[in-house]
Amino acid sequence: MLKLENIYTSYGPIEALKGINIEVKEKEIVCLIGGNGAGKSTTLMTISGINRPTKGRIIFNGEEIHNIPPHRIVEKGISQVPEGRRILPRLTVKENLEMGAFTRPKNDIQEILPWIFETFPVLKEREKQSGGTLSGGEQQMLAIARALMARPKLLLLDEPSLGLAPIVAGKIFKIIKEINEKGVTVLLVEQNAKAALKLAHRGYVMETGRIVMKENAEALLNDPGVRKAYLGE
Amino acid sequence: MKKFLRIFLLSLWFGAITFPFTGIRDAILLSISITVLLILWIPINKGFIRKERIDLAFKKINEWFRLKTQKRILTLFFILFLLVLPLFMNNYFIDVTTLTGIYIILALGLNVVVGLAGLLNLGFVAFYALGAYSYAILSTQAGISFWGSLPIGILLVAISGVLLGFPALRLRGDYLAIVTLGFGEMVRLVLNNWDSVTKGPNGILNIAPPEVGSFAFREPIHYYYLILFFVILTTLAIKRINNSKVGRAWVAIREDEVAAEAMGIDTIRMKLFAFSFGAMWAGLGGVFFAAKMRFVSPESFTFFESVIILCMVILGGMGSIAGVILGAMILVILPEALRGFENYRMLALGAGLILIMVFKPEGILGGPRRRAELRPDDEKTLMQEMETIKR
Repeated sequence: MLKLENIYTSYGPIEALKGINIEVKEKEIVCLIGGNGAGKSTTLMTISGINRPTKGRIIFNGEEIHNIPPHRIVEKGISQVPEGRRILPRLTVKENLEMGAFTRPKNDIQEILPWIFETFPVLKEREKQSGGTLSGGEQQMLAIARALMARPKLLLLDEPSLGLAPIVAGKIFKIIKEINEKGVTVLLVEQNAKAALKLAHRGYVMETGRIVMKENAEALLNDPGVRKAYLGE
Repeated sequence: MKKFLRIFLLSLWFGAITFPFTGIRDAILLSISITVLLILWIPINKGFIRKERIDLAFKKINEWFRLKTQKRILTLFFILFLLVLPLFMNNYFIDVTTLTGIYIILALGLNVVVGLAGLLNLGFVAFYALGAYSYAILSTQAGISFWGSLPIGILLVAISGVLLGFPALRLRGDYLAIVTLGFGEMVRLVLNNWDSVTKGPNGILNIAPPEVGSFAFREPIHYYYLILFFVILTTLAIKRINNSKVGRAWVAIREDEVAAEAMGIDTIRMKLFAFSFGAMWAGLGGVFFAAKMRFVSPESFTFFESVIILCMVILGGMGSIAGVILGAMILVILPEALRGFENYRMLALGAGLILIMVFKPEGILGGPRRRAELRPDDEKTLMQEMETIKR
């Protein structure tokens, strides 16, 4: 479904991605793990078009998408949940969700909202509250829900558990699983490698802008190198 | 005792800054009167006028205005009032009100750019000038009527908004402000120096008044009704776009540009659109200004005008249409009303602005959203929490 071929991305003179190859298949959860500055977030930003690759190709459902602007990529069916949630704190929960459906025709909102509220009952309760008054976990749910409002085929998640209490993070991971079971493909970036690998089908390990390992999640969990470097054992 | 010393020093400082304008005797008198006033203020400040009370009063007024039926009745009465108003006024007052109308249109236009899309534009007067000069030149050189020039002028200004926006919108915040400021000055200097087309500092004379059939707009009252029509048109158009998908997109861009991009908003196009859509109304105001004054010269379009229009937007409450209208009214009518103060006119105006900004930083009718931006509640709650920890 998604294929990154030999992607290079730079911030000015600094090369953040040095020729990476990633493939995500339909209905999969794929996770990227790695230390700080390994290029995980940059990878997501490059896919969603906010950063442009300097070299390489990104192919989504047979179409090249590496040189089209971010809003057209959202229209094609890739939604990103940016790092740090980035909800609109002064708009209400409902307004935030409506903004998520910006690329969709108007009656789409009515159609998809019930499904969103079924997946995230807490957002239904908080519908009229402004986004900034939600707790961290609720804000993360809102950010995910907002991305889903665009009816993506592929969801890019950047650090969904960042700054959340373990029990709340667990809830978020459960929801990600649920969304995936409903047919949305997920590409996940996580610091919490253990949780991410338990959730994902396959995983990539990144180091300083390169992919150093690519395995199914089970194998990565049992790999002694990965255990030592990322699972703290 | 420390308080009294502070008051004394404050008065001294005030005397010192007014001294160059007022002479030594008046400056001393002013210092003494300010000392007395501030000493009287202490007990008032302690019990009588509390900030919370002012906030509460404003909140109640705001709530009342927000109710739908009240709003409709009020709008109706207001428009009726405006329709019969000039019948009871002399020409001077009608002229002041007409001027207010022009500034309301300008401020509403700038509000789209600054208040909704969050792009600080310090050269807004350039669009006003372009509108005014396009009618002045079309009328005197080509003999095109007011109604013919109006769409041409507005279109020209909208295009110039896109042209300025294209390079400028790569910049953010302060940098954008400086570029727009430069643009404003550039336009004024070109008008001042391009003698063959703009007649330079002499300006363009004998601009034709608007006509409808054989009826020509000559009396102040004619212009009054024309500007009233334009103000209502502008208000309705901006209100509509404010509540549309486009308006939402602007708000999203203002709040968080990366998030807006991730949601599939074409941020560059939306910003460009905000820029030229806001400029359009300045163009309309400009064309009307030229027709009303029947004379344009570069000195009507100085940087100070841009600042005043921005003040109207901030004073009334960024993003709020009613607030911006009120802000424009205050800033045009107040200097006129303060003519009794003569030399101190601008001083009194400045003091008034500072007071409003101290007590209502989000503007007179600024919404709760704007207020949250300026005084984050989270921080307040956090600080309250910290207090409890300490004890």
